[in-house]
Amino acid sequence: MDKRKNAAAVAVPVPAVLTEIRDEIEDVKTFYFRFEDPELERSFSIRSGQFVMCTVFGAGEFAVSLPWSPEKDRRHLSVRNVGKVTSALHALGVGDKIGLRGPFGNGFPFEEMAGRNLIYVAGGIGLIPLRSSIFHALLHREKFGRIILLYGAKSSKELMYRPLIDEWRRTEGFETYVTIDREEPGWTGEVGFVHTLIEKAKVPVDGTTAFVCGPPVMFNAVIGELSRRGLKDECIISTLERHMKCGIGKCQHCAIGRTLVCTDGPVYTYRQIKTLGETI
Amino acid sequence: MYLLAKSDVPRFLSALSARFEMYGPQVHPVSGDVFFDKAADSSSIRLDAPIPANSPKFAVFPHWERILSYAYDRETKDLRIVPEDLVRPKALVGIRSCDLTGLLCFDRFFLGQEFVDEFYRAHRRRMFLVSVTCVSPFAQCFCVCTDSGPAAREGYDVNLTDLGEAYLFEAGSDAGRELAASLSLPPAGPDAGRRRDEVIDRSISRFEAAAVENKAWISRAVNRLTTGFVKNETWEYIGQQCFECGACSFVCPSCSCFNIEDVNRRDGTTERLRTWDSCSFEGYARMAGEHNPRRPVEDRRNKRFFCKLSFSQSKKYLRPGCVGCGRCVRVCPGDIGMANVVTAIRREITGK
Repeated sequence: MDKRKNAAAVAVPVPAVLTEIRDEIEDVKTFYFRFEDPELERSFSIRSGQFVMCTVFGAGEFAVSLPWSPEKDRRHLSVRNVGKVTSALHALGVGDKIGLRGPFGNGFPFEEMAGRNLIYVAGGIGLIPLRSSIFHALLHREKFGRIILLYGAKSSKELMYRPLIDEWRRTEGFETYVTIDREEPGWTGEVGFVHTLIEKAKVPVDGTTAFVCGPPVMFNAVIGELSRRGLKDECIISTLERHMKCGIGKCQHCAIGRTLVCTDGPVYTYRQIKTLGETI
Repeated sequence: MYLLAKSDVPRFLSALSARFEMYGPQVHPVSGDVFFDKAADSSSIRLDAPIPANSPKFAVFPHWERILSYAYDRETKDLRIVPEDLVRPKALVGIRSCDLTGLLCFDRFFLGQEFVDEFYRAHRRRMFLVSVTCVSPFAQCFCVCTDSGPAAREGYDVNLTDLGEAYLFEAGSDAGRELAASLSLPPAGPDAGRRRDEVIDRSISRFEAAAVENKAWISRAVNRLTTGFVKNETWEYIGQQCFECGACSFVCPSCSCFNIEDVNRRDGTTERLRTWDSCSFEGYARMAGEHNPRRPVEDRRNKRFFCKLSFSQSKKYLRPGCVGCGRCVRVCPGDIGMANVVTAIRREITGK
């Protein structure tokens, strides 16, 4: 994977202005922003799968995955209100400023995937870190085999990016399956855990790379099903989440086994994850 | 090589203090404890003091440090970010080879990886290092097993070895040679190297037999930790002994985990503080939403010893992280300093 340094801000956060805030699902909002510095607004570049350290002034800093497509998208962060800093972010409004450092981390290894089938399996807000990668795959549709999204959430209220998913359903060459855990009035789609979609979508094994992201229970069920069908560990890719303070491989909070999620990850193959010797 | 007469030590120290903030071993007037600390007056630095209770790492990696301050007014949307303007050049005088080795581990870790740590670099820039050959090891010391003492081999500007009436003054850098010239120090005689080696040999003979015998077992522990062949029962035993106080991390010359926190002040500004942290604390890896991948204490203990001895971490330091200073042995209330962990691994291998 490309370990090129592309971080625009390493030590001191650069200011960005919130331009729009959207409610996604309960406790999750999407924050669109632009950098205050026009030069940075033009040049800030990311690779799909990287992350930034986001400062909420007066509250602190947290690591957050990047959902936007580097090629065709507005820059934004989708964040769940779950702790001290993220709740302070949720209290901000349009026009408020945040600070960003990064981007950090390795990103998805697309150069190794030409000609392969890409299977995206996401649970709940696990779709956020995969979003950028899906955009990349669809923009370069001709480079890949089948492209499939299997997405599940507890209920229809917890499905992220609903308008986008509707758009994806209509996109030719993109097989989109969505499921919720239990029956609901008015829901006509699939019902059941997301790993049951693997059977329904007739997911191929040969020449396939699977991107898996979601809560640990879902992750283990999906990996189990994919492995049972014969998908090799090195063809399963995930992006891990850890408590981080620096983002540049110094504070060591995100150490798993012999790796640091901030500089060696956050994207790992399942083969690597298995050797790390720690729970997901 | 030069000679620095003991009567000349004050002149040597005051020459340094003209250009540097001075740090060195000082004896507490009441308790008699020795601490490595900043010296307002260079005459309070004692080159012949016993090994300080703390490592000098705080001089490059402070217990807490403001790395940034900012003020954000939500009404006017006015934001001012002020990066911290660091730091006066420092001289660390009288550091032992173990602590110097820890500092070199820091250099490779903070300056030599994918990213450079700018805050560390600011402290380390223009620093002057005076090491002393250690002639009085503590009972818990085992630098002879970790290839980091009792005499420094690299990384110093000046190394001093006590030859009785004078110190042997070895310059390890241009800055060290310039200092020798400016003090007009006399050159050492032809037998100085031999006399220094005798001092080092005498010092090695003072280490407890157990420390020396453990040498082979540290290599075995490195092997076992690297390959993951330490049994869970051993970590469980170590975990049961651990008080989760973090003292081992705080006294360790090569432990450098830190936390970053934004602290609001009454005047409306916020300081971003970087503080020491320890992997033994339960909240160390805890994420927002209470998910903690490393809750059991043995998981966290295992991490520390992996960090100190495993090959994968040693690649970052270009040597094992443990420098054999023995401080974790002295401070640990649960008696699981490095030496006892190595012993536990030895017992696991030999059954004795």
